[in-house]
Amino acid sequence: MKRNWKTLGVAAISSVLVLQLGCGSSPTEAPKAGEATPKGTEATKETSSAKKDKVKLAFWDMHTEAESKFFKDLVDAYNKSQDQVQIEYSTYDQASYTTTKLPTGFASGAGPDLYMISPGDFMKFAKSGLMKDLTPDFPAGVKEDFLPASLEAVTYNGKIMALPFELETLGLYYNKEMLDKAGVQVPKTWDELHAAAKKLTTDKVAGLIIPPDKGPYFNFIWYPFLWQQGGNVLSADGTKSTFNTPETAKALDFWGSFFKDGLSPKKLQLGPWEIDNLGNKTAAMQIVGTWAINRIEEKYKDVPIGLAPLPIPAGGKAATDAGGWKMAVNGQSKNAAEAAKFVMWAFGSSDLSHALKWGTEVKFAYSPRKSVVEKGKDIYNKGLRKVFTEEIYNSAIPEPRYPSEVVEAVGDAMQYVMYGKMSGADAAKTVDAKITEILSKQK
Amino acid sequence: MTPRRSNARMIQEWVTAYSFLLPNILGLMIFVFIPILYAFYVSLHDWNALSPKVYVGFQNYVTLISDEQWWHSVTRTLLFSVVYVPLLFCLALLSALLVNGLRGKSVGVVRTMFLLPFAVTSVISAIIVMFLLDPRNGLANQLLSLVGIGKQQFLGSPTQAIFCVILTLLWINIGYNMTIFLSAIKEIPIDYFEAAHIDGATRFQSFRYITFPLLRETNTFILIVTTIASFQIFDHIIVMTKGGPMNSTEVSVLYIFKEAFQMLNMGYSSALAFVLFLIVFAFSMIQLKFFSSKD
Repeated sequence: MKRNWKTLGVAAISSVLVLQLGCGSSPTEAPKAGEATPKGTEATKETSSAKKDKVKLAFWDMHTEAESKFFKDLVDAYNKSQDQVQIEYSTYDQASYTTTKLPTGFASGAGPDLYMISPGDFMKFAKSGLMKDLTPDFPAGVKEDFLPASLEAVTYNGKIMALPFELETLGLYYNKEMLDKAGVQVPKTWDELHAAAKKLTTDKVAGLIIPPDKGPYFNFIWYPFLWQQGGNVLSADGTKSTFNTPETAKALDFWGSFFKDGLSPKKLQLGPWEIDNLGNKTAAMQIVGTWAINRIEEKYKDVPIGLAPLPIPAGGKAATDAGGWKMAVNGQSKNAAEAAKFVMWAFGSSDLSHALKWGTEVKFAYSPRKSVVEKGKDIYNKGLRKVFTEEIYNSAIPEPRYPSEVVEAVGDAMQYVMYGKMSGADAAKTVDAKITEILSKQK
Repeated sequence: MTPRRSNARMIQEWVTAYSFLLPNILGLMIFVFIPILYAFYVSLHDWNALSPKVYVGFQNYVTLISDEQWWHSVTRTLLFSVVYVPLLFCLALLSALLVNGLRGKSVGVVRTMFLLPFAVTSVISAIIVMFLLDPRNGLANQLLSLVGIGKQQFLGSPTQAIFCVILTLLWINIGYNMTIFLSAIKEIPIDYFEAAHIDGATRFQSFRYITFPLLRETNTFILIVTTIASFQIFDHIIVMTKGGPMNSTEVSVLYIFKEAFQMLNMGYSSALAFVLFLIVFAFSMIQLKFFSSKD
């Protein structure tokens, strides 16, 4: 019998171990909305001075390094500034943040009170009631300070559902030395860009780096070429496809020509958003955003990198994408009002210091608020920033917030042309039908 | 032994046996059977993970019947399996036979070398291969240029990408499967081979009539396990190609992942996952029946 108890003991311990393996919480497991108890290594530790009766809010983010530190410091400062609310900040890996972390968090009822959202995911969350209407939370006069287009990009059913705090625009970065050696002028038109890339491409150097793999960033870089001719993916109200046009065909053919002619690599070692492609001299030109400037100044001071607006087609007009994350408040949180107060304190108050620090010190990005850009005009005109400020900023169009299925379909069209499966016109026609079908299912 | 003592002993054995089985039964229930049932339940709903579930009956299953992209991904998965599984099986068996023939101190070193890639994390192994296969600066193209072959796009080519993934998985998994074959070969009594040798059997004949038939159970195990694994291939593809270029490596599990976590179509993706489960289950049953038919 003694042996039998021993056996049972071993079996019981094994059961516990198996269950523990399965049920053990991950180090970055998130706190519940409204009753945050962070367990993550990145989570801000609750200070001993925090009172028990404070309202606890969970704030989820996807930034890393200095950017994450900025938000952590912001949260700490807010926690110290008042005694009503205690915010717990957690940051997660960007690759899984919007794909798995946020949806599973909300699905299990353990989503955050405050969170970051990208334009590509905006509609899914807005439609699901997971965004609080922030319209009444704006302090007097502040809403007027925002660029109308930036607020329009976060408006759903006439309500402002998130707060934009950055605008990241795109430009053409190039290696001056390589262009000089090849006797190439900085390209201003599509034809010049293609000819320059052709001249600059060698066995070791790519003429132009643009993203080759499907995904939101792939489309993000391509949209300006469509907009420059007045084209668009959907109608203004987002209910109809406007993809089957000569403008789309032309933009697709132009994009595809760089890959078909071997001027842009079909596979990249580094992300297409990393200026390191240009910094380590494996590319002569690259289309990237404002975020590259700080990296250039920190790591590639010795590389002669220049910046120009995106080249335009004959008869076209300048256009560039203005992307950027937004802050949202969980519309289903019982503490949504308190969460909205923090969002406004951070980027929507008359105190411009946070917005200015974010866009000028932590990273380089424009603020959607005119007064911030005005206040930081000295910094916004420093080095390569001047090109963005003087030559690119005015042509910025907010990144579209198309449904994921539409993003996927547009990516298909781009790849059909890149890999020679279809002409631009055929791809535009094929994908137009697909988008129409997608939209019909979404009603 | 009296019948009473016999009954008591049976109960004791029963308790002991099920005490040991309990952890596995619980594990299977919690992490396999309940999720399968829940996936089926979710598949009957329209659900984006953010809003409440809406019951739609078998609508998701009706939709998937006409979803061309899904069936393309299934075809791609089948093609992947048809190439990968036999290659892995043959190469692992061949390696096991070669290593089994080695004598001396080198055996341990060779075996470790074969098994080493299996110890590398899938993401790291995928990144290593991406560096090797880089079209511009990768070692593979440099080696090819030495024999006069022009630059290849590898992962950037819709026709080559899937084979690059297969090659990577072979590199990772041959060693592990070889070890299983090797231990099974070692179990075969040496007398059989000696008797065959005395009767004048060649090495191939010894393999054909002794080794291979006696490995039947191991063969069945490896074929079923690798077939199931080939249907579940995901991590290497998401790192190496993300399903591209031009969807050429978009296998079923990746398509399900995209539907679930990029499109947030949880109900539909659960229906897809359930159908894939049925396909894999059917394949496994056919294999089991086919390879165990002589028992």
